[in-house]
Amino acid sequence: MNFQINRRGLLKTAAAGAAFGALQPFNRAFAATDLVWMTWENLAKDDYLAAFLKGGDVSLTKNFIGTDDEQFAKLRAGGASSVDLITPGLDKVEYYVASDLLQPIDFAKVPNAALLYDTFKKTDLGKKDGKTYGIPFYWGINPIVYRADLMDGEPDWSVFFEGDKYKGKLAMRDYALEGIMIAALYLGIPKDKMFDMDDKELAEVKKALLAQKKLLRTYWNSIGDLTNLFASGEVVCAFSWVPPYYDLSARGLKMGMAKPKAGVIGWCDTIAVPKGVEGEKLDKVFSLVNYLLGPEYGEKLAFGGPYAQGTSAALDKLPDEQKEKIFVKDLSIMDSFVWKKNPARYNDWVALWNEVKAS
Amino acid sequence: MARSRTGFWLSVPVYAAVVALCVAPLLILLAYSFFQVSFVAVLKEPTLKNYVRIVGSDTYRWLILKAFGSGLMVAAITAVIGYPVAWFIAKRVVAAKSAFLTLLLVPLYTGDLVRIFAWRMLLGAEGVLNTFLMAFGAIREPIGALLFSSLATHIVLTYNYLPFMVLGLWLAFEALDDRLVEAAADLGAGAVSTFRRVTLPLTVPGLVAGSMMVFVMVVGDYLTPQLVGGASGITIISAINDLFGTAFDWPLGSAIAWTMLAILALAFAGAAIVINRSSLGKALAAGEA
Repeated sequence: MNFQINRRGLLKTAAAGAAFGALQPFNRAFAATDLVWMTWENLAKDDYLAAFLKGGDVSLTKNFIGTDDEQFAKLRAGGASSVDLITPGLDKVEYYVASDLLQPIDFAKVPNAALLYDTFKKTDLGKKDGKTYGIPFYWGINPIVYRADLMDGEPDWSVFFEGDKYKGKLAMRDYALEGIMIAALYLGIPKDKMFDMDDKELAEVKKALLAQKKLLRTYWNSIGDLTNLFASGEVVCAFSWVPPYYDLSARGLKMGMAKPKAGVIGWCDTIAVPKGVEGEKLDKVFSLVNYLLGPEYGEKLAFGGPYAQGTSAALDKLPDEQKEKIFVKDLSIMDSFVWKKNPARYNDWVALWNEVKAS
Repeated sequence: MARSRTGFWLSVPVYAAVVALCVAPLLILLAYSFFQVSFVAVLKEPTLKNYVRIVGSDTYRWLILKAFGSGLMVAAITAVIGYPVAWFIAKRVVAAKSAFLTLLLVPLYTGDLVRIFAWRMLLGAEGVLNTFLMAFGAIREPIGALLFSSLATHIVLTYNYLPFMVLGLWLAFEALDDRLVEAAADLGAGAVSTFRRVTLPLTVPGLVAGSMMVFVMVVGDYLTPQLVGGASGITIISAINDLFGTAFDWPLGSAIAWTMLAILALAFAGAAIVINRSSLGKALAAGEA
């Protein structure tokens, strides 16, 4: 190819380049602001967000996480500047605040936050020095899920620690925090003391967990894997998340969900804004936060999840059956939940959990 | 002179890549192993506490031992299975050699998870093997220990890493000159003697290479024990993962990682010295064996 350049051609090219450059601010003014949301895949489905994105002035890049720990590790390792909104667990917000990764929520820009359930308004979690860093966004419980066709009755936490009727057919999540919380619930350690257990109580917990290990088929790591274990009959009862109950019931299996009287583990994820997001972008982020706490998103989440959002914004749109499913028909149930917190001696908890698994 | 300078400049990118991608991350990990953690802050005050914790912990000592034990066991099993397979492909297959090698590698294309779940379908309580045994009346109840056990872990690890052992051995057999075997027979050596004094020494490099590959991969594999090992599926690698993720104890995680690295380096160095001092090693070095 013969490519020649002369003075006139060069001037034309330079002029075209300058004109294009001059148009850039104009283009930017009409371009959508792209927000990056680090979140769980099931919270960012296109139809959940369509109503917010239809205006066209905001586009959304979804950055999916596999675990809360992974999210924290990414931000802690310097990833905060590339994200505009994150989804930490309510119990983990403290980690981010201590690492100086978050900015406080400007409630003036999030009017739907006024509809937060009282439990979330009152909680100290997600807050520091009177400022909120993580708004409770959606929540639920982690119950016992079981194959009702293969078990005699509704189990409670003791099924994981006593007797051998279901030995080798039980599964527990491979997660120190919840594993130890369940042992504490079984041992009757009060909720307000659970996260500050002393050496003696931790020794009792370890003894119970060692007994538990002998009854387990396996520790599960992904909810999809646990669903398979239920479906194939390898496991008949597990400390679980809710999805296997609905997924397998929909496929015709007779499943049960038990909420032991000793207490059920409640979880809540928040939405939080990393430090460094500012100006017009910050306004759009808060606009997205407001949408996520609002009625359109709440309704989609209640049917699609099914999960409850942190506010009552969508309550009027839900039939009783759906309210029952997401535990908002009778909100007093929240009082029986043990909300996950970050234990003061969490490293000791993790070490104990590994000792049990390695025994 | 000019030529050697060109060689130097050409090698710079290679050294830079090794330093940036291999040496530097390891040195950062080493530095972290001497730090401490307080909640979510890493205290950069050098201390040996993490190493003291590892030495004093029954759990970490046992998990490190378990990892190396599994590595040795799977390397030994794959060697026993892989040796005749490699010999067969190299010395007995002529026309379909490529087809055999491709077949050997096909499972590797499917990905770890697919292979692990396929094994679950085979070994599970309602799996193919238990169903087959029950249908023929060999057992009344499914054998639970076939899956979610140490046995299952080692079966799947052996299956996963056998191709790496066979490939190393196959290359060694391909390089083995058949005339040497014939000469040994002509000189009166029996089959066992020929194998012990000619075939085995000449294929030892392949055996060592394959064993090292399998050993290192088994030690580093935590997905297989986690998914088919059941309640005892914890490995030292998953413990490191817990420390980096859940516990935010990067210093202790780094210290365990470096302890593993140091033991591996010592083990390999020790093996190299033993091989070099043995008559076999000397013969190999001199190109006589």
